[in-house]
Amino acid sequence: MKNQSKLKASTVFVHLMLLVLVVVNLFPLYWMITFSLKDNDEIFGGYLKDNAGAIIYSESGEKIPVARNMIGLPRTWRWSNYTRAMNTGNMGRYFLNSLIVSVFAILLTLLAAFMATYALTRLAWKGRKLMNKFFMLGLTIPIHAALVPVFLILSRMKLLDTYIALIIPYAAFSLSMGILISIGFMGDIPYDLDEAAFLDGCGVWGIFFRVIFPLMMPATATVGIYTFLQCWNELLFATVFVSKGRFMTLPVGVKQLVGQHTTDWGPVGAALAIATIPTMIVYALLSRRIQEGFIAGAVKG
Amino acid sequence: MKKTIAYKLNILAFLLPALILFVGILIAPIVMSVIYSFHDFKSVSASADMTYVGFGNYIELFSRMLVNDKGALFTNVNYMGDALVNALILGALSVFIQLPLALLIALKLSKGIRGERAYLSIFFMPVLISTVIIGQLWMNIYEPDGLLNSALGALGVKDQLFSWISSHIHSTKMPFRGAWTGYKETALIAAFIPILWQYVGYHMLLMYAGIKGVPADLLEAAQLDGCTEGQVNRHIVIPYIKPILKVCVIFAVTGSLKSFDLIYTLMKDTRRAELPSTLMYKLTFLNNRYGLGSAIAVVLIILCFAFALLISLAFRDKGEKVA
Amino acid sequence: MKKVFALILAAAMLLSMTHVFAEEKTVLTLWCIATESDANRPAYEAAIAAYEAAHPDVKIEWEAFENQSYKTKIKAAMSDPSTLPDIFFTWAGAFCGDFVEMGNVYCLNEAYKPWAAELPEVMLQNASYGENGDHYAVPLTMNIVTLFANMDLLAKAGWDHVPTTYDDLIACCDALVAAGITPFGCAGSETWCVTEYLEPIIEKTIGYEALNAIFAGKATWNDPAIAKAVDTFQEMIVKGYFDPDGLTLGNDQVKANFIAGKTAFYQNGSWNCGEVNDAEGNFQVALFPVMDAEKATYGQVIGGPSDSLAVSATSKNPELAAAAAFELGKEICHYGYLAGSGLPAWTPYYDTSDVKPLVAAVAKIVAESEGMVLFGDTAMSADPANIYLNYVSQVYGTEIDGAGFVEGLTNTLQ
Repeated sequence: MKNQSKLKASTVFVHLMLLVLVVVNLFPLYWMITFSLKDNDEIFGGYLKDNAGAIIYSESGEKIPVARNMIGLPRTWRWSNYTRAMNTGNMGRYFLNSLIVSVFAILLTLLAAFMATYALTRLAWKGRKLMNKFFMLGLTIPIHAALVPVFLILSRMKLLDTYIALIIPYAAFSLSMGILISIGFMGDIPYDLDEAAFLDGCGVWGIFFRVIFPLMMPATATVGIYTFLQCWNELLFATVFVSKGRFMTLPVGVKQLVGQHTTDWGPVGAALAIATIPTMIVYALLSRRIQEGFIAGAVKG
Repeated sequence: MKKTIAYKLNILAFLLPALILFVGILIAPIVMSVIYSFHDFKSVSASADMTYVGFGNYIELFSRMLVNDKGALFTNVNYMGDALVNALILGALSVFIQLPLALLIALKLSKGIRGERAYLSIFFMPVLISTVIIGQLWMNIYEPDGLLNSALGALGVKDQLFSWISSHIHSTKMPFRGAWTGYKETALIAAFIPILWQYVGYHMLLMYAGIKGVPADLLEAAQLDGCTEGQVNRHIVIPYIKPILKVCVIFAVTGSLKSFDLIYTLMKDTRRAELPSTLMYKLTFLNNRYGLGSAIAVVLIILCFAFALLISLAFRDKGEKVA
Repeated sequence: MKKVFALILAAAMLLSMTHVFAEEKTVLTLWCIATESDANRPAYEAAIAAYEAAHPDVKIEWEAFENQSYKTKIKAAMSDPSTLPDIFFTWAGAFCGDFVEMGNVYCLNEAYKPWAAELPEVMLQNASYGENGDHYAVPLTMNIVTLFANMDLLAKAGWDHVPTTYDDLIACCDALVAAGITPFGCAGSETWCVTEYLEPIIEKTIGYEALNAIFAGKATWNDPAIAKAVDTFQEMIVKGYFDPDGLTLGNDQVKANFIAGKTAFYQNGSWNCGEVNDAEGNFQVALFPVMDAEKATYGQVIGGPSDSLAVSATSKNPELAAAAAFELGKEICHYGYLAGSGLPAWTPYYDTSDVKPLVAAVAKIVAESEGMVLFGDTAMSADPANIYLNYVSQVYGTEIDGAGFVEGLTNTLQ
């Protein structure tokens, strides 16, 4: 009896601590959403204004004071902030661009990483250990160190101002991690399968595409997520390699939009929310899969 | 003979996409950076006049760091020393605060607590938010009139805390009034907290996965022997997940050395929490000292590599002793 | 999954195809920093529309970038000049000078000739380089550092005019502080905003010739008078004349605070005139008072033409681009002046009676100026300019004193 109640008390304590952490995790996001629906007068205290920003006067001709509401729910839900963010910033376009760049960078990373991993683990040749170490060098290279050289390489190849200008560097910088993860996964595939396929008359290519590739599907989630995080967040390459608005990605768009409304918290919040919410929805739908991908990657790596 | 040539060609073909990407986008720039770091430029331009200066850039980088102005170790200019120290502080904070916290949560969650999955999902969520957004969001939190100072005010500790900071850790003559990113003494911590907030879930998930992989019979045996939870954790779980801890430490340290985006978006002027990467960016694009910036890039790559190696060695030694 | 990829692929191809079908006009590309919130945005829009109407066979494809990103972008583009647009925004002085030295800027001497009557040659001076003073950039506007004052707040402290002597300024600030009003706002997170305070204070202490010589590298910073000027600035900070929140705020926020009546003074570029003029309240413009009457006079100002358009040397149509740069520059200047986002570098050809009162007041100050020093970070080349800004930033944070400022700059900028 005594023991049980003790156990319960400690469980309650653990839950309490975890709940505190949940609040710490969620509060900044809650706060971002609320201030994205307010105007400055509501956030900091000021005078009541209409959506166009003109002061509203009471019947007696007085300004109507608004109490400061830093963290509460909005009193007036100002959806116009979202319209403003969408109109000035062209966020929809940036979002689509980010998606295109990310998807193709992920595909390229997957293909290159799986093929290289196959050569590194399933084909016997001298120097494959060395080659593996060579690829692992990439894990330590800071992406910003390569900015100007990569710019020069891309401009020589006439690739600036295209989606490719971002897809190739993003894939390259995700490659080392991709190979590292893939090696773990491919090691789990029994060699008997290769042999059976070989006896069926498959060459190395046949084995790779018909046997290995389909079995590497669990690894695609892991590699895909690592690559996605790289591409989705990247700011500097995206700023420098792309000059045309129609190719700009989300981080550049957010930075530009935030720069335009520095003092107006509502539209800034709206821009941040527009850039965040879709990712959150995808995460909510796929969270189990994403987590498992991550976990698998960690264990194998 | 014919077969082996075909075989070798196949190997090459399999490696080719990765090699092209890797050599073209990673190795070539490093080689270029190394070459540039031995030259002085009139501007950020490979086509402009390059003058060979030998180790001049490296000497400038590290001597400016050590020249004494007034008996101080670091001068006010160029601050490569400050940047390295800041990066190491950030790495140490990550290793000694972020990782233990992550480990603690992972240990508690992996014990099969109710709502395990929900907690996991929520703690991991910030990892998926763009750094640009996190930087801007925390900038608003840290604003003099922002969330943090409002909360401190509501708790009634604001004035006391500010006057304590003014009198104790504050080296300037201006009274501290809540400009968290405005002073050297607080800016680095202010930058660390969003990093902690974003990545604690990441490390937690890695560790959680490792703990879930601990064989059940090992744990049962220990419990039958009468080990407490703490003892089980210390003697069985933690040694078992050492490889994952190693990965976490390497990520935390090299991540701190390389980190750029958050500070770049959190502060318009990165001087008060300067890191090697922000310094490299400034010297390259503001000061037009491309050679000097390349020298930092080379130093950074060497440091990241050295730390990864050192950490691996440290973990290997201990593991062998235990065995 | 395959369908999704196919869809995205199709979308990507469609997006990249659209521009192929554009009409066949001569296209001139232009990069600038007039993003949608920029005060100059309407001027650019109007000027480009006017240009395209006058030249139906030319199309201007322009992109505006956020200021901080633009500096990275234009410098990266300079490393491979073929990536430059035909026309690009640049600041005059050493910022543009570095590009000229690289051979990436098209010389405008010939293109300037037809415009000589409308654009005084002196306005091109900051973007003229080499022994012959060849011209490389078309100025749009010119600006000076202006002291903006909120007269309603000054009245609350018992002042009906902007102080014109240092003693008066101190008395006025003390009265403001006593009345619970913060005298100044200054954005510490953007160091150029700090120079808007520090440079006039130094100029009004050592005189404009001396400061010009230092910025030009003809004299060293080693002057005890500069240390004294810095100390005076810091005294004002420590006495609480400056809003301590300003240390981490950006310029937009500080300006908004001033316009909202939270600070009595705001010292910044005259490009803010239009915005301040249109805001609700009673505002005046003035200059920082004289600190040392033996060396400086009230009419000495910091500023000059800096915002400019340049033509890249790799442009396929350099002559057309050069002519367009002048036409655009003239019109951006025209619309910008009327909107109050800058003073004209070009001689106005239009009716200036509509110019906003505050803008007219600054124009008068410029006309009567007794000496001019270009902004320090524009006048000096990139490396020294940024070392200088670094020290200025430390001055505002009171991390170093005047002696440290002078000693550090003297040692580092030899």
